[in-house]
Amino acid sequence: MSALAGFRFQLRELPHRPDHLLALVTAPLMTLVFLAITRHAGRADLAGHAVLAPALIALWQMALLVAGELVAAERENGSLEALVATPSSFAAVIIGRVAAVTLVSLLGFVEAWLAAWAVFGVVVTVAHPVVFAATVLVSALAMAGTAGLMSAVFVLTRSARTFQNSLSYPFYVLGGVIVPVSLLPDWLAAPSRAVFLSWSSDLLRDAVDASTVEGVLPRLGAIAGLGFLGLCAGLLALRRAVDRLRRTGTLGHA
Amino acid sequence: MPDTDPAIRVERLHRTFGGGRRRRETVALDHIDLTIPAGEVHGLLGPNGAGKTTLCKILSTVLLPTGGTATVDGHDVVRETAAVRRSVGIVFGGERGLYTRLTARANLEFWAALYGLRGRGLSQRVDALLERFGLTDRAHERVEGFSRGMKQRLHLARGLVGDPRVVLLDEPTTGMDPVAAHDFRDLVRELRAEGRTVLLTTHDMAEAEAVCDRVSLVDGGRILATERPATLGTWISRYASVEARDVPPSTVDELRALPGVRAVHHVPPDRIRVETGAEDAAPAVLRLLVDAGVGDVSTALPSLADVYLHVIGDRGMRVNK
Ligand SMILES: Nc1ncnc2c1ncn2[C@@H]1O[C@H](COP(=O)(O)OP(=O)(O)OP(=O)(O)O)[C@@H](O)[C@H]1O
Ligand SMILES: [Mg+2]
Repeated sequence: MSALAGFRFQLRELPHRPDHLLALVTAPLMTLVFLAITRHAGRADLAGHAVLAPALIALWQMALLVAGELVAAERENGSLEALVATPSSFAAVIIGRVAAVTLVSLLGFVEAWLAAWAVFGVVVTVAHPVVFAATVLVSALAMAGTAGLMSAVFVLTRSARTFQNSLSYPFYVLGGVIVPVSLLPDWLAAPSRAVFLSWSSDLLRDAVDASTVEGVLPRLGAIAGLGFLGLCAGLLALRRAVDRLRRTGTLGHA
Repeated sequence: MPDTDPAIRVERLHRTFGGGRRRRETVALDHIDLTIPAGEVHGLLGPNGAGKTTLCKILSTVLLPTGGTATVDGHDVVRETAAVRRSVGIVFGGERGLYTRLTARANLEFWAALYGLRGRGLSQRVDALLERFGLTDRAHERVEGFSRGMKQRLHLARGLVGDPRVVLLDEPTTGMDPVAAHDFRDLVRELRAEGRTVLLTTHDMAEAEAVCDRVSLVDGGRILATERPATLGTWISRYASVEARDVPPSTVDELRALPGVRAVHHVPPDRIRVETGAEDAAPAVLRLLVDAGVGDVSTALPSLADVYLHVIGDRGMRVNK
C-alpha cells in the first residue's frame, strides 16, 4: 500500500519535472547517432543494436539521475522527516516511487523505435516478441530494485554526483549496452556478469534478431536474481540510511 | 490503551549531538522530565537552541534519543515507532517540505495515502482540510505560486491529515502576519476542543499565554519551569516597559522614586525607557508621565529575554552553543 502511494505520487510529479525527463529527450537523438554510424559502416544488420542501446541507456540514466536521487532530494526539499514520521514504510514508499520512474523510463524503447522509423525509415522488427517483453519487464523490476539501493547509498554518502558520474559510462560498458559483453576482454566480461544489465542487453538483442534464443529462462532468472539481490540490498540500505539519519539527527539537513 | 495514559510522557530524556574526535559535544536535551495529559495544549517556550525542536523530533520518531525514555499515547518512541507514528501529527515551521510543483490537493492526497487513507475516505479528508484552512479555492494551483502564509496553512493541513491524537507544532507561526497568527490561535483552540493534545513550541510569550493550558520554559536543554499561562501574563505585565520622549529631569527623578520602577535608562538622544518590576507599576508610570504633560509615550511588552532575565534570574538569555 505504501509502495502504491509512492508509485502514484511519482507518476503525478514526473510530468512537472522536465529536468527529470532529460534521458527521454536524449534517447531518440542517440538512436539517430547510433543508427547513422551502423548504416555508414554498411551494417544495416546492426539496426537492432542501434535502437536497443539508447533505450537501455535511458533506463539506466533515469534510474541513476532521478530514482537514485529521490531520498537525497527529499532531504533537500525538507520533506524527509515528515515522510519518515508517517506510519507508512519509508523503504516501500521509495521503492514504489523508484518503480514509477523506471516505468516511465521504458518510454525510451518506444522513442528509439519511433526515431529509427521516422528519420531513417528503419523498422526494427522483434523476432521473439514474448521473450522481448518478458526481458523488458524483468529488467525494469531489476532496475527498480537496483535504483532503490542507489538512492540509499547516495543519501548515506552525500555525494550523489560522484556516484552518478562514475556509475554511468562504466556501466554502459559493463552492462554490454553498446557493445556486447562477449566482445569485451575477458577480465571485463567476468565482472560484467554481476551486472543485471549485461544479461538484459544480450537477451534483448537476441530477442530482436537471433533466429533462436537459447536458455531464455535461466537468463531471465539471472536478471531477476540480480535484480532481487539489488532490491533486498536496497530495502536494507534504505532502512539503514533512515536509522542512521535518525541517530545522527541529520534527516532534516539540506 | 487506558485513557489514563498521559498523551506525552518524557523521563530523563537526553540528546547530544557531535562529540566526535574534533567537534565539541552539544547537549540539546539535558535529562528532561515532562508529562502532558491528554487534551492539554502545552507550550514550549524558549530561546534559540533551547532544545524545542529536538524534543519535537524525538517525539515524532525522526530523531533517536541518546538516553531516557519518551512515550506518546503510551507508546515508546524508540521501540514502538509504528504506533507512535499513527498517533502523532507534526508541523515543522517554515516553508520547506512541500512538493512545490504539485497542487495543494495533490500534496495532501499523497500524505493522506501515507497515513493509510484510500478512496472516498481520502478525498473527504483532503476536502475537509482544504476547506478548514481556506485553501479550497486554490486547491488546484501549484504550491510554488503560494504565498508564505498559504504554504504554512498547507503545512498545518498536512500535519492533521492523519487525524492525529497528538499534534506537535514546531514554531508554526514564524512569518505569519497578525491576522494569520490570530487564526492560528483559533485553530489551536479547535484542536483542543476536538480532544487532541497539542505541543506547541514558540518564542512568542503572548502566543503561549493566549492558547496554552500550561507552558514550559526551556533553555539550554532543560525545563526551567512549567507554569500556567496566567503566571506568564503576570510576568508580562510585571516586566512591561514604558518609553517616552522629552521628559523633564524632575519627572525622571519622580519616576525613579515610584514603587515598582526598577530602572530608568536614557535612550539617546532624547528618550527614556522605564523598566518596571511590579504589576501596577506600568500604569502608574504612564499616569505620572501624562500628568507631567509628556505627550510622546509608548509601552512595550517584555521580550522573552526580559522575562528569562528576571524570572529565571542569573541564567539569563544564554544561547546554547
Ligand atoms: N542535527 C544536529 N546536529 C548538531 N547539533 C544539533 C542538531 N540539531 C540540533 N542541534 C543543536 O542542539 C541544540 C538544540 O537545538 P534545537 O533545534 O532543538 O533548538 P530550538 O529550541 O528548536 O531552537 P530554535 O528556537 O532556534 O528553533 C542547539 O545547540 C543545536 O545547535
Ligand atoms: Mg527549533
